[in-house]
Amino acid sequence: MAIFRGRSVAKMGTIEGKALVTRDLVAFWAGTDWETGEIVEIGHEARGKNMAGKILVFPKGKGGAGETFGYYYLARSGKAPRAMVCQSGLGQTVAGALLTKTPMVYGFAEDIVNAITTGDTVRVDTDKGEVEVVKRES
Amino acid sequence: MQLNKEQEDLLSGKEGHGAQKAMEILVAMGEAQGAERMVEISYAHLMPPDLMFFPYGRQGKWAHEMTEDLTKDIKRLRVPATVEPQFCDLCIAKDLQYPDSIVEEMRDIQATAMEFYEELGVIPTYTALPFYYYQGKLGEHVSISESIATLWFNTMFGSRCERDDGVKSLAAAITGCVPLEGVHLTENRHGEVIIRLAEDLDFTEFNDADWDAFSLATSRKCKDKRPVFLGIPPTIGVTDLKHLLAVIAVESGLALMHMVGITPEAPTLEAALAGNKPLDEFVIGKQDLGEAYQLANTATGSDIDFILLGCPHLTLRELREMTEVLEGKSIHSNVKLVAVTTRMLLQQAEDMGYADVIRDAGGILTNDMCIAFAGTQVTGTIATNSIKAVFFYAGFSSGAKRKVRFGSTKDCARSALTGKWEGRSE
Repeated sequence: MAIFRGRSVAKMGTIEGKALVTRDLVAFWAGTDWETGEIVEIGHEARGKNMAGKILVFPKGKGGAGETFGYYYLARSGKAPRAMVCQSGLGQTVAGALLTKTPMVYGFAEDIVNAITTGDTVRVDTDKGEVEVVKRES
Repeated sequence: MQLNKEQEDLLSGKEGHGAQKAMEILVAMGEAQGAERMVEISYAHLMPPDLMFFPYGRQGKWAHEMTEDLTKDIKRLRVPATVEPQFCDLCIAKDLQYPDSIVEEMRDIQATAMEFYEELGVIPTYTALPFYYYQGKLGEHVSISESIATLWFNTMFGSRCERDDGVKSLAAAITGCVPLEGVHLTENRHGEVIIRLAEDLDFTEFNDADWDAFSLATSRKCKDKRPVFLGIPPTIGVTDLKHLLAVIAVESGLALMHMVGITPEAPTLEAALAGNKPLDEFVIGKQDLGEAYQLANTATGSDIDFILLGCPHLTLRELREMTEVLEGKSIHSNVKLVAVTTRMLLQQAEDMGYADVIRDAGGILTNDMCIAFAGTQVTGTIATNSIKAVFFYAGFSSGAKRKVRFGSTKDCARSALTGKWEGRSE
């Protein structure tokens, strides 16, 4: 099925999981509850959705400079996404991925948040910097 | 990445373990973002996790673990550095509903962190507004971990700084360099979308809260695209700029914006766009502002329990506006008012008599702490003059525990007297 090429923040092999997709920017500090993995930001399109163990697909990070710590706390409490797939990589999100060894691929020619749907099974190959939809949500 | 001899030495561990770790982090960040080389910085603003990010409980331990490897054998920094606020003034922690056991934990973690960074030579500014202490220069490369300060240095000074986090800025201060990428490069600094005000609004009639609401409305339109603002009055002062920049910095993930006729890289619209066609143009009107006020007010009842002001730290104008309302009056017995500013501005507020007025009315006035983070422990309804603070008070897992009212500094001061919300209701 469809394969999208981007840039991988570090080589960490290939992992597979279910996608949680949002078209809104995502904040990990305050915008997400680090104890549960739930998006809690007021007015956020994916408010109430949980990113723990998912392949989180989003346009870009936002929030304060504490974003990296928010992501780190999320990972330490075991509620981080399995991988992050972003249209573009905010510095603080990239740092969070590196510090917690979360696979992250970003920088696609395609409009990635519209190419993947929540519930799709997605394979993230961090060695090649590729994201593949292996099964569409039916 | 291409490294010079000095940077290679740091990476090889010749300068010690912490410096090696710092270089490893910067190289990993640079490679992850496609940087070809490092660039020297002349200043850093630090955000140590153990000073600021809920320094108690298990996250207090995590905060320390994050930076321990980086800092354990560091004796000095290569550039002048300032630092973010502390989490909480321990003398008022009880007023913000922290139990004694947590206050003791904070004392340990926060005080150890402060001592460490001060010994390292970090200037103890304890504020998110470091431009009061260090002025950036056009084209100067710096590393800043604080969203409003990153946006301020790029926008107001034309300095060059990415959206650095606490770990990266600490690594940058240790090594004296950052990867050359993002807005450090001229080709990533031009404006992308145009923002103008609709005819049903007038910038000269904005109060401080209107600038926040305008900033939130703009952020929801421009998202991560660098905006070019048209028509902002050249007389805009530090207070309104603080309100405008603080909100967009958090809500959009931007490092840089332009204001035509005001900011150094935007003498004209053409210069701000640097020959590029704008991707979009957004007109912000009364309805957009109304929607922003609605988003920032999560409370429905009129009772107010806390008035928390100072995210980012209050300016002298805001302190003066508070005193204009509070002078000779008493804050309602059901309300706790906490106002926070910088150490320098508090001294001036004392000289000018503002501090006495606020304290005589029954308010708490302090300095150096982060009221946005420390205020997230309380139960009840908080009133604030900052949408950046609303983002934190209404965030985390606040649920039904905490509701927020947002309005101008004067609205908040008036509400302190009556215990009821006196600002606009949507």
